[in-house]
Amino acid sequence: MDRAVLSQDKSGERIVPTFCAMCGPLAACGINAMVRDGRFVGVEGMREAPNQGRLCPRAFAAPQWVYSPQRLTHPLRRVGQRGEGKFQRIGWDEALDIIANRLVQQKQEFGPESLGILASARRTYADYMYRFLMAHGSPNYGHSGICAQQKRFGFNYTLGMAPVPDLARSNLILVWGKQPAFSGAPGGQLKAILDAQARGAKVVSIKPSMEPDVALADMWVPIRPGTDAALALAMLNVVINENLYDADFVSRWTYGFDRLEAHVQQYTPQWAARITGVPAEQIVQVARLYATTKPACILHGNGFEHAPGCTDAIRAVAILMAISGNLDRPGGDLFPAGSTMPAPRGVHLRERYTPEWVDKLLGPEFPKPFQPNVEGTSSAYYRLLESVLTEKPYPLRTIIAPGTQPVVSTRGSKNVMEALKKVDFFVAINVMQTAEMDYADVVVPVATMYECDHPFEAQDRWIMARNRVIEPLGDYKSDYEFWLDLGVKMGYGADFWDGDIEACMNYQLEPFGMTLEELRRHPTGIVYDPRPMVYEKYAQVFNRPSPRLSKAPFLPQSKVALYNTTLEEHGFNPLPEWREPPESPTATPELLERYPLILSDYHTSKAYNASWLRNVPYLRELLPHPTLQIHPDTARARGISDGDWVRVESPHGTMRIRAEIFPGMRPDTVMALHGWWQGCAELGLSDYPLLDGGANTNNMYSVDPAKAYDPLVTAMSSQTLVQVSKEP
Amino acid sequence: MGKQVGFYLDLDRCVQCHACEVACKARHGIELGITWRRVVGMWVGQYPDLVNRTITFSCMHCGEPSCVDACSSGAITKRAEDGIVVVDRVECIACGACAEACPFGVPQFGQDGIMQKCDLCVDRLAQGRQPACVETCPSEALRSGTMEELSMVAQARPLAGPTQPSMWVVSDKWSVLEPVLPWKSDHPAS
Repeated sequence: MDRAVLSQDKSGERIVPTFCAMCGPLAACGINAMVRDGRFVGVEGMREAPNQGRLCPRAFAAPQWVYSPQRLTHPLRRVGQRGEGKFQRIGWDEALDIIANRLVQQKQEFGPESLGILASARRTYADYMYRFLMAHGSPNYGHSGICAQQKRFGFNYTLGMAPVPDLARSNLILVWGKQPAFSGAPGGQLKAILDAQARGAKVVSIKPSMEPDVALADMWVPIRPGTDAALALAMLNVVINENLYDADFVSRWTYGFDRLEAHVQQYTPQWAARITGVPAEQIVQVARLYATTKPACILHGNGFEHAPGCTDAIRAVAILMAISGNLDRPGGDLFPAGSTMPAPRGVHLRERYTPEWVDKLLGPEFPKPFQPNVEGTSSAYYRLLESVLTEKPYPLRTIIAPGTQPVVSTRGSKNVMEALKKVDFFVAINVMQTAEMDYADVVVPVATMYECDHPFEAQDRWIMARNRVIEPLGDYKSDYEFWLDLGVKMGYGADFWDGDIEACMNYQLEPFGMTLEELRRHPTGIVYDPRPMVYEKYAQVFNRPSPRLSKAPFLPQSKVALYNTTLEEHGFNPLPEWREPPESPTATPELLERYPLILSDYHTSKAYNASWLRNVPYLRELLPHPTLQIHPDTARARGISDGDWVRVESPHGTMRIRAEIFPGMRPDTVMALHGWWQGCAELGLSDYPLLDGGANTNNMYSVDPAKAYDPLVTAMSSQTLVQVSKEP
Repeated sequence: MGKQVGFYLDLDRCVQCHACEVACKARHGIELGITWRRVVGMWVGQYPDLVNRTITFSCMHCGEPSCVDACSSGAITKRAEDGIVVVDRVECIACGACAEACPFGVPQFGQDGIMQKCDLCVDRLAQGRQPACVETCPSEALRSGTMEELSMVAQARPLAGPTQPSMWVVSDKWSVLEPVLPWKSDHPAS
């Protein structure tokens, strides 16, 4: 840490080692933040961190984000009508008093479960929200239903654990529903794929459009959005019928092969070709290539989690990994060995879960028998909002939304907006103005992580203290301090270190035998040794206990669950099957005349995170306008040229968006980027409408409870049918 | 003449992430609307048989820089010690002749009207460090060094042109990409 130890270089710049925070608070890339005259002026990558000095474009734009004119600098109380945007400035203490008083009153009148907290993607403040909910008495942590937990559920209950691909030693890598270039690239996965190709490994990319990383693959499988399960089931059909599986592994370590074999006979490549849009010959080719190239691995991404067939797609993929003989073998799909780093002491209060607690869940994200799941008990984010409208099984009375923007983050935007208008009490917590902040009763600003000296972050085998780059720019504290302070106001101080954030940090560091100040003496943190890798840990992994209250193992037979008796016991199909999106060419052919094209969306882009960062000029320059990627022929047939404003209409909503002629798009599909609403004043770009006529893809999809959800993990469909026309 | 410093780009590793472009902008405090480094996608073929590659390029510090010849005020010079082409922003008279002369569209003019472009982070090179764009590249597609060092990299070929750009390129698809390089033709670019 040559530069940070110097701390003050000759030019008068102070250099502060810390974490990049453009993906939010988590053990992100290590950076050296540069400060001149008390101002945060620049960022460089930290060589000692896992990112080895590399950063993505977002990292460099951090000063523009921190000093953005859209920053919230002091708490606000609504004084006008909902949506009117009239607020009165209040202090931090007053804001917390208002929230605490309302929660106390509602707890008495409606019960504590009338509080719901909406979670963003998992960040390190998540367990503080869980802790607060536990102290308060509500199980209603609102988890997105499209996050890594959806995949993890399918892997856990099929393989006992979610494996990670051994990219460095594989000879064939399937990159499936994953965006390794725009998401987390500095972490090294992207480089590992490219290095594997450089030594002769082949890469097959399974995604609907030819994004830049797809273009570098050896083979592209241009699949229709949301049909991954159909492809995986047909691959199983080929691998099993052509005897390309590892018979020894199957007989020793799997349960129910005969029934799987009989079940997949219906999923022929010809059947899947009609659904996926991938030619049957290519399906056969990919299946054979995968099963005969040793070793092979699968790099799977969030793409799976945006379809109602999510769990069965993952189960089918997990079964492919297992029967092909690639599970926990060099170059295959590994069960990580972990490291010698201790786990920080958790703040979640898991030990307090009871059956009654689970039973109170308002809209379980996973069925109640599978709660708590890995991250704790959870209700589905959208179902919490919907409860305000349906009042079934009971309505939420308070919604707290920290670091998340409901109207642009989850499906059913029109219903979400109605729920925010109707709910008794809505609190928005953020660093920046949000899409629906005008509907909040109280707005609580929080510090960016560049203004915080906590929390420390631990990941894999690296632990490092977060250092404060600049003093807070307004009357606010951190997300973490918010929950401690609110806990104290509510009378839960004993569970919240009486509001002492440093005591809270030191509590978590106990297993390390050091305090936060002692950890801070290691400017670039501490790296622990990896545990030596042991392969084929089947006896160990196939016996892992699940996080359910019973602690029953994920795999009751201690074997890979090809035929899943656990799911069967709770009324779900023991074998993976195909479930259509709410609208698709094969599910609803009657809609094709009016809506002939498939619409889906990307959640990751080169410039942004989800619905954030559009107001950062250096990033907005990269992708200035919301665009609809459309094949040249599809555009030409509609008289659409590159850059034209077009109207996109689905059975559920409309968008006004610019056409981007994109040669690497399926001709029957159009794709947009999720999360558009925010303008960028520096570039003269205004905010977009949140609902019809804006650029919000979430407004376009079905939220029909019978069709839009995966029945096990509530993954929500990001597919519909649309018509696209040039704006007159 | 001494050594020549330049760039190397493996187009079969570039994923169009734009980290190089924004690292450059942040490092040099470049105003909005101006980029010293451009990241451009190129398409050849028809769905589904497509070639798509991305080129990232800045000033290529040419061996025979046409901008230097075109500059009547003597503001643009090629450094003897490393061949880096630099602009003296005090001497520049904002005539725009360099932009006319450059085949790559490199010289740019911001609000002050004075020519600006990549200086290969000469201050960082002097400290023994890499340019900001190279240091951050997550896929290790972009490198810099002396042209002699970079020539050692397997399969690298010089980017041909009358001004002798100081840039080595690598791609299995180079023969189909060369006709559609961004300064050569109109084509869908991203």
